[in-house]
Amino acid sequence: MEQDIELLLDNCINEMRNGKSIDECLAKYSQSATGGAGQLRPLLQLVQQLEILPKPEPAPEAISGTLINIGHHIAQRSMTSEKLTAVEKLQKKSSIFNIIRRPKIAWAFSAAFLFLVVLFSAATISANSVPGDILYPLKLATEKVKFLLTFNSEKKAELRLTFSDKRLQEMIAVFQQSGKLDTTLLKEMLDEAKLALEETKIPSDTASVFVTKLSHVNAYQKDVLEKIRPQVNLSSRKIVDEAINMCDMRGRWMRRMMNEENEISPDSSAPDSTGSPQQMPRSKQKSNRWQWGPGCDWMK
Amino acid sequence: MNLTSAKKDLDDEELLQLLERARVNDSKAIGILCSHLYSKIYRFIYYRVNAVEDAEDLTSEVCFRVIKSIQNQKGSFYAWIFRIASNLINDHYRRRSVRSNVEPAGDLIEEMIDKGNKQNELLEQKELRQSLKKLTDEQQEVVVLKFIEGYETDEIADMLGKSSGAIRAIQFRALTALRNNFIKKEVD
Repeated sequence: MEQDIELLLDNCINEMRNGKSIDECLAKYSQSATGGAGQLRPLLQLVQQLEILPKPEPAPEAISGTLINIGHHIAQRSMTSEKLTAVEKLQKKSSIFNIIRRPKIAWAFSAAFLFLVVLFSAATISANSVPGDILYPLKLATEKVKFLLTFNSEKKAELRLTFSDKRLQEMIAVFQQSGKLDTTLLKEMLDEAKLALEETKIPSDTASVFVTKLSHVNAYQKDVLEKIRPQVNLSSRKIVDEAINMCDMRGRWMRRMMNEENEISPDSSAPDSTGSPQQMPRSKQKSNRWQWGPGCDWMK
Repeated sequence: MNLTSAKKDLDDEELLQLLERARVNDSKAIGILCSHLYSKIYRFIYYRVNAVEDAEDLTSEVCFRVIKSIQNQKGSFYAWIFRIASNLINDHYRRRSVRSNVEPAGDLIEEMIDKGNKQNELLEQKELRQSLKKLTDEQQEVVVLKFIEGYETDEIADMLGKSSGAIRAIQFRALTALRNNFIKKEVD
Protein backbone atom coordinates (compact mmCIF):
# COMPACT_ATOMS: atom_id res chain seq x y z
CA MET A 1 0.00 0.00 0.00
CA GLU A 2 2.77 2.42 1.07
CA GLN A 3 4.91 1.32 -1.87
CA ASP A 4 1.99 2.09 -4.19
CA ILE A 5 1.61 5.59 -2.84
CA GLU A 6 5.36 6.24 -3.11
CA LEU A 7 5.24 5.16 -6.75
CA LEU A 8 2.07 7.18 -7.39
CA LEU A 9 3.67 10.25 -5.86
CA ASP A 10 6.73 9.84 -8.05
CA ASN A 11 4.61 9.29 -11.15
CA CYS A 12 2.51 12.37 -10.35
CA ILE A 13 5.68 14.46 -9.89
CA ASN A 14 6.87 13.29 -13.32
CA GLU A 15 3.47 14.11 -14.85
CA MET A 16 3.59 17.56 -13.29
CA ARG A 17 7.07 18.05 -14.74
CA ASN A 18 5.53 17.31 -18.11
CA GLY A 19 3.03 20.12 -17.59
CA LYS A 20 0.01 18.44 -16.00
CA SER A 21 -1.87 19.91 -13.04
CA ILE A 22 -2.34 18.21 -9.67
CA ASP A 23 -6.01 17.50 -10.47
CA GLU A 24 -5.14 15.89 -13.80
CA CYS A 25 -2.54 13.69 -12.16
CA LEU A 26 -4.84 12.68 -9.33
CA ALA A 27 -7.66 11.98 -11.81
CA LYS A 28 -5.39 9.75 -13.83
CA TYR A 29 -4.35 7.75 -10.81
CA SER A 30 -7.66 8.02 -8.89
CA GLN A 31 -8.52 4.32 -9.35
CA SER A 32 -5.15 3.02 -8.20
CA ALA A 33 -4.83 5.67 -5.53
CA THR A 34 -7.39 3.76 -3.47
CA GLY A 35 -8.30 6.70 -1.38
CA GLY A 36 -4.75 8.01 -1.28
CA ALA A 37 -5.64 11.06 -3.36
CA GLY A 38 -6.34 12.95 -0.20
CA GLN A 39 -2.90 12.06 1.06
CA LEU A 40 -1.19 12.85 -2.25
CA ARG A 41 -2.72 16.27 -2.90
CA PRO A 42 -0.97 18.15 -0.05
CA LEU A 43 2.31 16.46 -0.93
CA LEU A 44 1.97 17.49 -4.57
CA GLN A 45 1.13 21.05 -3.48
CA LEU A 46 4.30 21.00 -1.42
CA VAL A 47 6.23 19.75 -4.44
CA GLN A 48 4.93 22.78 -6.38
CA GLN A 49 6.26 25.04 -3.66
CA LEU A 50 9.61 23.26 -3.56
CA GLU A 51 9.98 23.51 -7.31
CA ILE A 52 9.65 27.29 -7.20
CA LEU A 53 12.18 27.70 -4.46
CA PRO A 54 14.82 30.10 -5.71
CA LYS A 55 17.68 28.45 -7.55
CA PRO A 56 20.58 30.28 -6.05
CA GLU A 57 23.44 31.06 -8.38
CA PRO A 58 26.88 31.52 -6.92
CA ALA A 59 28.60 34.90 -7.14
CA PRO A 60 30.87 35.10 -10.18
CA GLU A 61 33.67 36.29 -7.86
CA ALA A 62 33.35 33.08 -5.85
CA ILE A 63 33.62 30.96 -9.01
CA SER A 64 36.57 32.92 -10.37
CA GLY A 65 38.31 32.82 -6.97
CA THR A 66 37.92 29.06 -6.88
CA LEU A 67 39.16 28.72 -10.45
CA ILE A 68 42.23 30.82 -9.65
CA ASN A 69 43.02 28.66 -6.61
CA ILE A 70 42.55 25.51 -8.63
CA GLY A 71 44.79 26.96 -11.37
CA HIS A 72 47.52 27.49 -8.78
CA HIS A 73 47.01 23.98 -7.54
CA ILE A 74 47.29 22.53 -11.07
CA ALA A 75 50.44 24.56 -11.74
CA GLN A 76 51.97 23.32 -8.50
CA ARG A 77 50.95 19.75 -9.30
CA SER A 78 52.52 19.98 -12.75
CA MET A 79 55.73 21.35 -11.26
CA THR A 80 55.74 18.64 -8.63
CA SER A 81 55.17 15.92 -11.21
CA GLU A 82 57.98 17.36 -13.36
CA LYS A 83 60.25 17.41 -10.34
CA LEU A 84 59.23 13.86 -9.49
CA THR A 85 59.99 12.74 -13.03
CA ALA A 86 63.41 14.36 -12.79
CA VAL A 87 64.01 12.74 -9.41
CA GLU A 88 62.89 9.36 -10.77
CA LYS A 89 65.30 9.72 -13.66
CA LEU A 90 68.07 10.63 -11.24
CA GLN A 91 67.20 7.67 -9.07
CA LYS A 92 67.34 5.38 -12.08
CA LYS A 93 70.72 6.78 -13.05
CA SER A 94 71.99 6.62 -9.52
CA SER A 95 70.77 3.04 -9.14
CA ILE A 96 73.27 2.05 -11.84
CA PHE A 97 76.07 3.59 -9.81
CA ASN A 98 74.71 2.46 -6.45
CA ILE A 99 76.87 -0.67 -6.54
CA ILE A 100 79.96 1.42 -7.18
CA ARG A 101 79.01 3.75 -4.34
CA ARG A 102 79.28 0.95 -1.79
CA PRO A 103 82.53 1.47 0.15
CA LYS A 104 83.98 -2.00 -0.39
CA ILE A 105 83.18 -2.07 -4.09
CA ALA A 106 84.38 1.49 -4.51
CA TRP A 107 87.62 0.54 -2.82
CA ALA A 108 87.98 -2.53 -5.05
CA PHE A 109 87.30 -0.42 -8.15
CA SER A 110 89.84 2.18 -7.04
CA ALA A 111 92.44 -0.46 -6.26
CA ALA A 112 91.85 -2.19 -9.61
CA PHE A 113 92.07 1.12 -11.42
CA LEU A 114 95.28 2.05 -9.58
CA PHE A 115 96.74 -1.37 -10.28
CA LEU A 116 95.96 -1.03 -13.99
CA VAL A 117 97.51 2.44 -14.09
CA VAL A 118 100.68 1.22 -12.34
CA LEU A 119 100.83 -1.86 -14.56
CA PHE A 120 100.40 0.18 -17.72
CA SER A 121 103.06 2.69 -16.61
CA ALA A 122 105.48 -0.07 -15.67
CA ALA A 123 104.85 -1.88 -18.95
CA THR A 124 105.53 1.34 -20.86
CA ILE A 125 108.72 2.05 -18.90
CA SER A 126 109.84 -1.58 -19.19
CA ALA A 127 109.81 -1.36 -23.00
CA ASN A 128 113.40 -0.09 -22.92
CA SER A 129 114.66 -2.47 -20.25
CA VAL A 130 117.42 -5.04 -20.88
CA PRO A 131 118.23 -8.36 -19.15
CA GLY A 132 119.31 -7.67 -15.58
CA ASP A 133 116.88 -4.76 -15.14
CA ILE A 134 114.08 -5.13 -12.57
CA LEU A 135 111.42 -4.48 -15.17
CA TYR A 136 112.80 -6.87 -17.78
CA PRO A 137 110.63 -9.85 -16.66
CA LEU A 138 107.60 -7.51 -16.94
CA LYS A 139 108.66 -6.66 -20.48
CA LEU A 140 108.78 -10.37 -21.39
CA ALA A 141 105.45 -10.98 -19.64
CA THR A 142 103.88 -8.07 -21.53
CA GLU A 143 105.15 -9.52 -24.79
CA LYS A 144 103.68 -12.92 -23.94
CA VAL A 145 100.32 -11.39 -23.03
CA LYS A 146 100.35 -9.34 -26.18
CA PHE A 147 101.12 -12.45 -28.22
CA LEU A 148 98.38 -14.48 -26.48
CA LEU A 149 95.85 -11.75 -27.08
CA THR A 150 96.68 -11.65 -30.79
CA PHE A 151 94.52 -14.02 -32.80
CA ASN A 152 95.38 -13.01 -36.35
CA SER A 153 98.09 -15.23 -37.92
CA GLU A 154 99.67 -12.39 -39.85
CA LYS A 155 99.83 -10.15 -36.80
CA LYS A 156 101.28 -12.98 -34.74
CA ALA A 157 104.04 -13.40 -37.30
CA GLU A 158 104.63 -9.64 -37.24
CA LEU A 159 104.88 -9.79 -33.46
CA ARG A 160 107.45 -12.57 -33.64
CA LEU A 161 109.50 -10.41 -35.95
CA THR A 162 109.20 -7.49 -33.56
CA PHE A 163 110.29 -9.68 -30.64
CA SER A 164 113.26 -10.92 -32.68
CA ASP A 165 114.26 -7.32 -33.40
CA LYS A 166 113.86 -6.40 -29.72
CA ARG A 167 116.16 -9.26 -28.68
CA LEU A 168 118.74 -7.95 -31.16
CA GLN A 169 118.49 -4.43 -29.69
CA GLU A 170 118.79 -5.84 -26.18
CA MET A 171 121.81 -7.90 -27.22
CA ILE A 172 123.47 -4.76 -28.62
CA ALA A 173 122.63 -2.78 -25.47
CA VAL A 174 124.03 -5.50 -23.21
CA PHE A 175 127.14 -5.77 -25.39
CA GLN A 176 127.68 -2.00 -25.27
CA GLN A 177 127.22 -1.96 -21.50
CA SER A 178 129.30 -5.00 -20.56
CA GLY A 179 131.35 -5.79 -23.66
CA LYS A 180 130.10 -9.38 -23.48
CA LEU A 181 127.86 -11.16 -25.95
CA ASP A 182 124.61 -12.50 -24.46
CA THR A 183 124.25 -15.80 -26.33
CA THR A 184 120.77 -16.36 -24.83
CA LEU A 185 119.53 -13.19 -26.49
CA LEU A 186 121.23 -14.22 -29.72
CA LYS A 187 119.48 -17.59 -29.60
CA GLU A 188 116.12 -15.97 -28.82
CA MET A 189 116.61 -13.51 -31.66
CA LEU A 190 117.15 -16.30 -34.17
CA ASP A 191 114.40 -18.46 -32.66
CA GLU A 192 111.82 -15.67 -32.81
CA ALA A 193 112.66 -15.10 -36.46
CA LYS A 194 112.25 -18.80 -37.12
CA LEU A 195 109.00 -18.99 -35.19
CA ALA A 196 107.72 -15.98 -37.09
CA LEU A 197 107.45 -18.18 -40.13
CA GLU A 198 106.82 -21.54 -38.48
CA GLU A 199 104.18 -20.84 -35.91
CA THR A 200 101.82 -18.98 -38.14
CA LYS A 201 99.79 -19.86 -41.18
CA ILE A 202 100.02 -16.80 -43.31
CA PRO A 203 97.60 -16.51 -46.23
CA SER A 204 99.33 -17.18 -49.53
CA ASP A 205 98.55 -13.70 -50.93
CA THR A 206 100.47 -11.94 -48.14
CA ALA A 207 103.09 -14.66 -47.60
CA SER A 208 105.55 -13.28 -50.15
CA VAL A 209 105.32 -9.81 -48.58
CA PHE A 210 105.98 -11.24 -45.15
CA VAL A 211 108.91 -13.36 -46.39
CA THR A 212 110.41 -10.24 -47.96
CA LYS A 213 110.09 -8.44 -44.64
CA LEU A 214 111.60 -11.39 -42.81
CA SER A 215 114.40 -11.45 -45.35
CA HIS A 216 115.21 -7.81 -44.57
CA VAL A 217 115.18 -8.48 -40.84
CA ASN A 218 117.43 -11.48 -41.39
CA ALA A 219 119.85 -9.38 -43.47
CA TYR A 220 119.89 -6.66 -40.82
CA GLN A 221 120.58 -9.15 -38.06
CA LYS A 222 123.42 -10.63 -40.13
CA ASP A 223 124.91 -7.13 -40.64
CA VAL A 224 124.73 -6.37 -36.92
CA LEU A 225 126.33 -9.70 -36.05
CA GLU A 226 129.11 -9.09 -38.56
CA LYS A 227 129.78 -5.69 -36.97
CA ILE A 228 129.84 -7.18 -33.49
CA ARG A 229 132.00 -10.15 -34.46
CA PRO A 230 135.41 -8.42 -34.36
CA GLN A 231 134.68 -7.01 -30.89
CA VAL A 232 133.69 -10.23 -29.11
CA ASN A 233 136.11 -12.63 -27.51
CA LEU A 234 137.25 -15.80 -29.26
CA SER A 235 134.82 -18.20 -27.59
CA SER A 236 131.84 -16.00 -28.47
CA ARG A 237 133.19 -15.30 -31.94
CA LYS A 238 132.60 -18.94 -32.92
CA ILE A 239 128.97 -18.67 -31.90
CA VAL A 240 128.60 -15.39 -33.78
CA ASP A 241 130.13 -17.01 -36.84
CA GLU A 242 127.61 -19.82 -36.68
CA ALA A 243 124.77 -17.34 -36.22
CA ILE A 244 126.03 -15.32 -39.22
CA ASN A 245 126.24 -18.51 -41.19
CA MET A 246 122.65 -19.40 -40.26
CA CYS A 247 121.42 -15.95 -41.22
CA ASP A 248 123.27 -16.28 -44.47
CA MET A 249 121.65 -19.62 -45.25
CA ARG A 250 118.21 -18.41 -44.24
CA GLY A 251 118.65 -15.41 -46.49
CA ARG A 252 119.57 -17.61 -49.41
CA TRP A 253 116.63 -19.88 -48.75
CA MET A 254 114.24 -16.98 -48.58
CA ARG A 255 115.55 -15.40 -51.75
CA ARG A 256 115.24 -18.67 -53.56
CA MET A 257 111.75 -19.18 -52.17
CA MET A 258 110.64 -15.76 -53.31
CA ASN A 259 112.03 -16.32 -56.80
CA GLU A 260 110.83 -19.86 -57.28
CA GLU A 261 107.80 -20.00 -55.05
CA ASN A 262 105.62 -21.72 -57.58
CA GLU A 263 108.25 -24.04 -59.00
CA ILE A 264 110.40 -25.24 -56.15
CA SER A 265 109.13 -27.48 -53.48
CA PRO A 266 109.72 -25.41 -50.33
CA ASP A 267 110.26 -28.46 -48.15
CA SER A 268 113.10 -29.71 -50.28
CA SER A 269 114.70 -26.26 -50.08
CA ALA A 270 113.98 -25.56 -46.40
CA PRO A 271 117.21 -25.31 -44.46
CA ASP A 272 117.91 -27.71 -41.61
CA SER A 273 119.66 -26.86 -38.40
CA THR A 274 122.84 -26.25 -40.29
CA GLY A 275 121.02 -24.19 -42.86
CA SER A 276 120.85 -26.92 -45.59
CA PRO A 277 117.50 -27.83 -47.10
CA GLN A 278 115.64 -30.61 -45.31
CA GLN A 279 114.68 -33.81 -47.06
CA MET A 280 111.09 -34.74 -46.36
CA PRO A 281 108.57 -37.20 -47.76
CA ARG A 282 106.39 -35.65 -50.45
CA SER A 283 103.25 -36.17 -48.37
CA LYS A 284 104.56 -33.76 -45.71
CA GLN A 285 106.06 -31.27 -48.09
CA LYS A 286 103.01 -29.03 -48.47
CA SER A 287 102.14 -28.73 -44.78
CA ASN A 288 105.73 -27.91 -43.83
CA ARG A 289 106.22 -25.49 -46.62
CA TRP A 290 107.61 -22.81 -44.32
CA GLN A 291 109.60 -25.18 -42.13
CA TRP A 292 113.05 -23.83 -41.25
CA GLY A 293 114.25 -26.73 -39.18
CA PRO A 294 115.07 -26.87 -35.48
CA GLY A 295 116.49 -23.36 -35.31
CA CYS A 296 119.14 -22.54 -32.73
CA ASP A 297 119.45 -25.85 -30.93
CA TRP A 298 123.18 -25.76 -31.64
CA MET A 299 123.51 -22.95 -29.06
CA LYS A 300 122.25 -24.99 -26.12
CA MET B 1 5.66 26.53 -11.97
CA ASN B 2 9.28 25.88 -12.66
CA LEU B 3 9.48 22.12 -12.64
CA THR B 4 12.17 21.65 -15.25
CA SER B 5 14.36 24.62 -14.56
CA ALA B 6 17.34 22.77 -13.19
CA LYS B 7 18.77 20.66 -15.94
CA LYS B 8 22.15 19.26 -16.62
CA ASP B 9 23.82 21.44 -19.19
CA LEU B 10 26.46 18.88 -20.12
CA ASP B 11 25.50 15.58 -21.69
CA ASP B 12 27.18 12.36 -20.64
CA GLU B 13 29.54 12.26 -23.60
CA GLU B 14 30.70 15.84 -23.06
CA LEU B 15 31.19 15.14 -19.38
CA LEU B 16 33.24 12.01 -20.11
CA GLN B 17 35.45 13.92 -22.53
CA LEU B 18 35.99 16.68 -20.00
CA LEU B 19 36.82 14.16 -17.30
CA GLU B 20 39.35 12.40 -19.53
CA ARG B 21 41.06 15.70 -20.27
CA ALA B 22 40.89 16.85 -16.65
CA ARG B 23 42.54 13.61 -15.54
CA VAL B 24 45.61 14.46 -17.60
CA ASN B 25 45.82 17.96 -16.07
CA ASP B 26 44.24 19.78 -19.02
CA SER B 27 43.71 23.13 -17.31
CA LYS B 28 41.09 24.26 -19.84
CA ALA B 29 38.98 21.14 -19.24
CA ILE B 30 39.40 21.53 -15.49
CA GLY B 31 38.22 25.15 -15.79
CA ILE B 32 35.08 24.18 -17.75
CA LEU B 33 34.37 21.29 -15.41
CA CYS B 34 34.73 23.47 -12.31
CA SER B 35 32.49 26.19 -13.72
CA HIS B 36 29.87 23.57 -14.54
CA LEU B 37 30.11 21.84 -11.19
CA TYR B 38 30.30 24.95 -9.07
CA SER B 39 26.64 25.97 -9.53
CA LYS B 40 25.33 22.46 -8.97
CA ILE B 41 27.39 21.91 -5.85
CA TYR B 42 26.60 25.40 -4.60
CA ARG B 43 22.83 24.85 -4.85
CA PHE B 44 23.18 21.44 -3.21
CA ILE B 45 25.12 22.96 -0.31
CA TYR B 46 23.20 26.25 -0.09
CA TYR B 47 20.00 24.56 1.06
CA ARG B 48 21.83 22.67 3.76
CA VAL B 49 23.97 25.36 5.38
CA ASN B 50 23.20 28.64 7.05
CA ALA B 51 25.05 31.28 5.08
CA VAL B 52 26.05 32.16 1.56
CA GLU B 53 29.69 32.47 2.69
CA ASP B 54 29.63 28.96 4.12
CA ALA B 55 28.06 27.65 0.94
CA GLU B 56 30.75 29.34 -1.17
CA ASP B 57 33.58 28.12 1.02
CA LEU B 58 32.29 24.57 1.06
CA THR B 59 31.64 24.61 -2.69
CA SER B 60 35.20 25.79 -3.32
CA GLU B 61 36.49 23.05 -1.07
CA VAL B 62 34.42 20.42 -2.91
CA CYS B 63 35.77 21.64 -6.28
CA PHE B 64 39.27 21.51 -4.89
CA ARG B 65 38.87 17.98 -3.61
CA VAL B 66 37.28 16.88 -6.88
CA ILE B 67 40.21 18.21 -8.92
CA LYS B 68 42.73 16.79 -6.45
CA SER B 69 41.33 13.29 -6.65
CA ILE B 70 39.89 13.23 -10.14
CA GLN B 71 42.63 10.90 -11.38
CA ASN B 72 41.50 8.21 -8.93
CA GLN B 73 37.74 8.67 -9.45
CA LYS B 74 35.73 5.62 -10.49
CA GLY B 75 32.01 4.97 -10.93
CA SER B 76 29.30 7.61 -11.18
CA PHE B 77 30.92 11.04 -11.26
CA TYR B 78 27.94 12.98 -9.87
CA ALA B 79 27.43 10.42 -7.12
CA TRP B 80 31.06 10.92 -6.21
CA ILE B 81 30.94 14.73 -6.07
CA PHE B 82 27.67 14.83 -4.15
CA ARG B 83 29.15 12.32 -1.71
CA ILE B 84 32.15 14.61 -1.23
CA ALA B 85 29.79 17.56 -0.75
CA SER B 86 27.66 15.64 1.80
CA ASN B 87 30.72 14.61 3.76
CA LEU B 88 31.99 18.18 3.82
CA ILE B 89 28.62 19.50 4.98
CA ASN B 90 28.58 16.94 7.78
CA ASP B 91 32.13 17.94 8.76
CA HIS B 92 31.09 21.58 8.68
CA TYR B 93 28.24 20.96 11.11
CA ARG B 94 30.35 18.73 13.29
CA ARG B 95 32.94 21.48 13.60
CA ARG B 96 30.42 24.15 14.50
CA SER B 97 27.87 21.99 16.36
CA VAL B 98 25.16 24.44 15.44
CA ARG B 99 23.10 22.41 13.09
CA SER B 100 19.70 22.14 14.76
CA ASN B 101 19.56 25.26 16.88
CA VAL B 102 20.61 28.07 14.60
CA GLU B 103 18.03 29.70 12.42
CA PRO B 104 18.94 29.68 8.77
CA ALA B 105 20.14 33.01 7.52
CA GLY B 106 17.99 32.90 4.41
CA ASP B 107 20.21 35.40 2.63
CA LEU B 108 18.68 34.67 -0.75
CA ILE B 109 15.10 34.97 0.43
CA GLU B 110 15.81 38.27 2.19
CA GLU B 111 17.58 39.52 -0.87
CA MET B 112 14.54 38.68 -2.96
CA ILE B 113 12.24 40.40 -0.49
CA ASP B 114 14.39 43.53 -0.88
CA LYS B 115 13.90 43.32 -4.60
CA GLY B 116 10.11 43.61 -4.13
CA ASN B 117 8.92 40.07 -4.68
CA LYS B 118 5.65 38.84 -3.24
CA GLN B 119 6.30 38.95 0.47
CA ASN B 120 3.86 36.20 1.54
CA GLU B 121 5.15 33.77 -1.02
CA LEU B 122 8.71 34.47 -0.08
CA LEU B 123 8.01 34.09 3.60
CA GLU B 124 6.48 30.72 2.82
CA GLN B 125 9.64 29.85 0.97
CA LYS B 126 11.69 30.91 3.95
CA GLU B 127 9.63 28.65 6.21
CA LEU B 128 9.96 25.85 3.71
CA ARG B 129 13.68 26.27 3.69
CA GLN B 130 13.77 26.19 7.46
CA SER B 131 11.67 23.04 7.48
CA LEU B 132 13.98 21.50 4.91
CA LYS B 133 16.85 21.78 7.33
CA LYS B 134 14.97 19.71 9.87
CA LEU B 135 14.94 16.70 7.58
CA THR B 136 17.52 13.95 7.85
CA ASP B 137 20.66 14.26 5.73
CA GLU B 138 19.41 11.60 3.37
CA GLN B 139 16.01 13.29 2.95
CA GLN B 140 17.63 16.68 2.40
CA GLU B 141 19.89 15.22 -0.27
CA VAL B 142 16.97 13.66 -2.12
CA VAL B 143 14.79 16.78 -1.88
CA VAL B 144 17.55 19.12 -3.07
CA LEU B 145 18.61 16.81 -5.91
CA LYS B 146 15.06 16.21 -7.00
CA PHE B 147 13.39 19.59 -6.63
CA ILE B 148 16.27 22.08 -6.71
CA GLU B 149 18.67 20.35 -9.07
CA GLY B 150 15.86 18.75 -11.09
CA TYR B 151 17.24 15.22 -11.36
CA GLU B 152 15.07 12.18 -12.07
CA THR B 153 14.56 9.48 -9.44
CA ASP B 154 16.75 6.98 -11.32
CA GLU B 155 19.55 9.53 -11.58
CA ILE B 156 19.39 10.27 -7.86
CA ALA B 157 19.40 6.54 -7.13
CA ASP B 158 22.57 6.21 -9.19
CA MET B 159 24.19 9.19 -7.48
CA LEU B 160 23.42 8.05 -3.96
CA GLY B 161 24.05 4.40 -4.64
CA LYS B 162 20.51 3.33 -3.75
CA SER B 163 17.63 1.69 -5.59
CA SER B 164 14.92 3.78 -7.24
CA GLY B 165 12.40 2.29 -4.79
CA ALA B 166 14.53 3.46 -1.86
CA ILE B 167 14.72 6.98 -3.32
CA ARG B 168 10.94 7.04 -3.83
CA ALA B 169 10.49 5.98 -0.20
CA ILE B 170 12.88 8.67 1.05
CA GLN B 171 11.13 11.21 -1.17
CA PHE B 172 7.72 10.26 0.21
CA ARG B 173 8.92 10.39 3.82
CA ALA B 174 10.72 13.71 3.22
CA LEU B 175 7.63 15.34 1.71
CA THR B 176 5.42 13.97 4.49
CA ALA B 177 7.83 15.30 7.13
CA LEU B 178 7.96 18.69 5.44
CA ARG B 179 4.16 18.81 5.29
CA ASN B 180 3.88 17.89 8.96
CA ASN B 181 6.38 20.60 9.89
CA PHE B 182 4.31 23.10 7.94
CA ILE B 183 1.08 22.06 9.62
CA LYS B 184 2.76 22.23 13.02
CA LYS B 185 3.95 25.76 12.33
CA GLU B 186 0.49 26.81 11.16
CA VAL B 187 -1.03 25.42 14.36
CA ASP B 188 1.63 27.21 16.41
